Amino acid sequence: MVAQMIEGWNLVIGIEIHAQVNSKSKLFSSSPTDFGSKPNSQVSLIDAAMPGMLPVINKFCIEQAVKSGIGLNAKINKKSIFDRKNYFYQDLPQGYQISQYKDPIVGEGFVEIETENGQKKIGVERLHLEQDAGKSLHDQDPNFTFVDLNRSGIALMEIVSKPDMSSPEEAIEYVRKVRSILRYLGTCDGNMEQGSLRADVNVSVNKPGNELGTRCEIKNLNSFKFIHAAIVYEAKRQIKLIEQGESVNQETRLFNTQSGETRSMRSKEDAHDYRYFPDPDLLPLTLDDDWIKGLQESIPELPDQIKERLIKEYSLSSYDANIIVSDKATSEYFEDVVKNRNPKLVTTWVTGELFSILNKKNLIIEDSPITSKQLGELVDNIENGKISNRQAKEVLEEMCESGKGALEIIDEKGVSQISDENEIESLVDNVLNSNPENVKKYKNGKDKLFGFFVGEAMKLSKGKANPKIVNDLIKKKLSQ
Amino acid sequence: MEFDKKSLLKLGKLARISISDDKLNNLSKDLNSILEFVDQLKEIKTDQVDPISNSLNQKLEVRDDKVDTKNSAEDILENAPEKEMDFFVVPKVIE
Repeated sequence: MVAQMIEGWNLVIGIEIHAQVNSKSKLFSSSPTDFGSKPNSQVSLIDAAMPGMLPVINKFCIEQAVKSGIGLNAKINKKSIFDRKNYFYQDLPQGYQISQYKDPIVGEGFVEIETENGQKKIGVERLHLEQDAGKSLHDQDPNFTFVDLNRSGIALMEIVSKPDMSSPEEAIEYVRKVRSILRYLGTCDGNMEQGSLRADVNVSVNKPGNELGTRCEIKNLNSFKFIHAAIVYEAKRQIKLIEQGESVNQETRLFNTQSGETRSMRSKEDAHDYRYFPDPDLLPLTLDDDWIKGLQESIPELPDQIKERLIKEYSLSSYDANIIVSDKATSEYFEDVVKNRNPKLVTTWVTGELFSILNKKNLIIEDSPITSKQLGELVDNIENGKISNRQAKEVLEEMCESGKGALEIIDEKGVSQISDENEIESLVDNVLNSNPENVKKYKNGKDKLFGFFVGEAMKLSKGKANPKIVNDLIKKKLSQ
Repeated sequence: MEFDKKSLLKLGKLARISISDDKLNNLSKDLNSILEFVDQLKEIKTDQVDPISNSLNQKLEVRDDKVDTKNSAEDILENAPEKEMDFFVVPKVIE
């Protein structure tokens, strides 16, 4: 456990999330933003920073940033300014990134996360708009770096948290929560594998009561697993340094996904002298109240609100509700199935059986082989007693393989549950009559034999008898 | 504000421009005279004026989120000194 490893130490974690805006064209040019296109096929003269080109801002991106700000319970700044962040790198043809420095479009906000000790509020410092950089490939040639500018100029929302997290688990919960909010809002697709959402993590350690330690920034983490591993490694590294009497250098580090280690990327000395100044090509961005109000009214129901509603409407546990709302597609799927059905049963079948199938097949719920309508039909047949839970599991697997509906499979395979009391009664009588010795032992106090009778009756019915009715009838008969 | 040689060399390094020793003196003199000239602005009283980042009294123009591809990879790579498989090729930059 991490808690044990760092016993006696505080961990202080702050996170910068870079989320690509879900726009068709780039922040300041009309080039497309599609992932995985032919290299350098989505590069305009603006993206390539040809002399004399002027940036014109994408209205949709402004909207998405403000919507995201509202979703993060944050202050929307009616006036914000675009600045040039100057640095020299081959994936940035302009020689500067257009970003926002002192006056971001969104100010302070917060999100709530679930922790071991209940709800915790994590502060959001700001959200600003900026350009993404191009992509460098270092492994194509021993002597050269290859550059693809397709990503250059795509709109990014940089969301900066306050240093409010104190464990890798909290850090992951925070990123999960922000990702989920952006996905509900539709402002970013949250695809971490494709790099639509990436995190830079700031970590420092200190002894309780002492002042904050020196922090290191670990760049470009694109999975929850890596975020966790990088924080654990970095905390251990810093603790070891301090315990050896050395000091931690403030620096940017890279996480090696193969070795699970972080290594120094560059020192802060002069690489970080960005010489920000307002971009003379862009006027200040001003938003008016009515426009902001209009956006506020367009905000859909967000995970926290849906969770509250699910708990109220369907008496779900907080734990189950959390799982369901963690992802927009899951909550939509659940709400489709649960309409006019038993919420407890539906919860079990969505978060239990369906999830286990999706996990096994490594699928997301959007690509589920079973539609919400199909799962609903299955649940109906469990609820009306036509099939047992155990049978339903088999039917679900078959549905998955064949794409057929539940009823079709039930009819075809003759899977069905015997719920007819008379039929079950004769089964039970049969079992009791052929085991007179055991009946006697049971009546003399050997309670454990109850399970034996149920087992025999189920066997006799080839597993088709409704187990509840079998139980009830045996209990009734044996107490006579 | 005085611009010394050390700051000048650092600025050069940040911009990846090499400055030879024989040019240092003149360049530093030039830059300082520019700074002195601009420093005159400090004489103006501005405590009653809101800071501005742009002197034009206009609203930022916006555009709709529409895709318009004007270039092919071939076009955009046309002026690249080195290219391969549709990539720009530059000296190895990883440390």
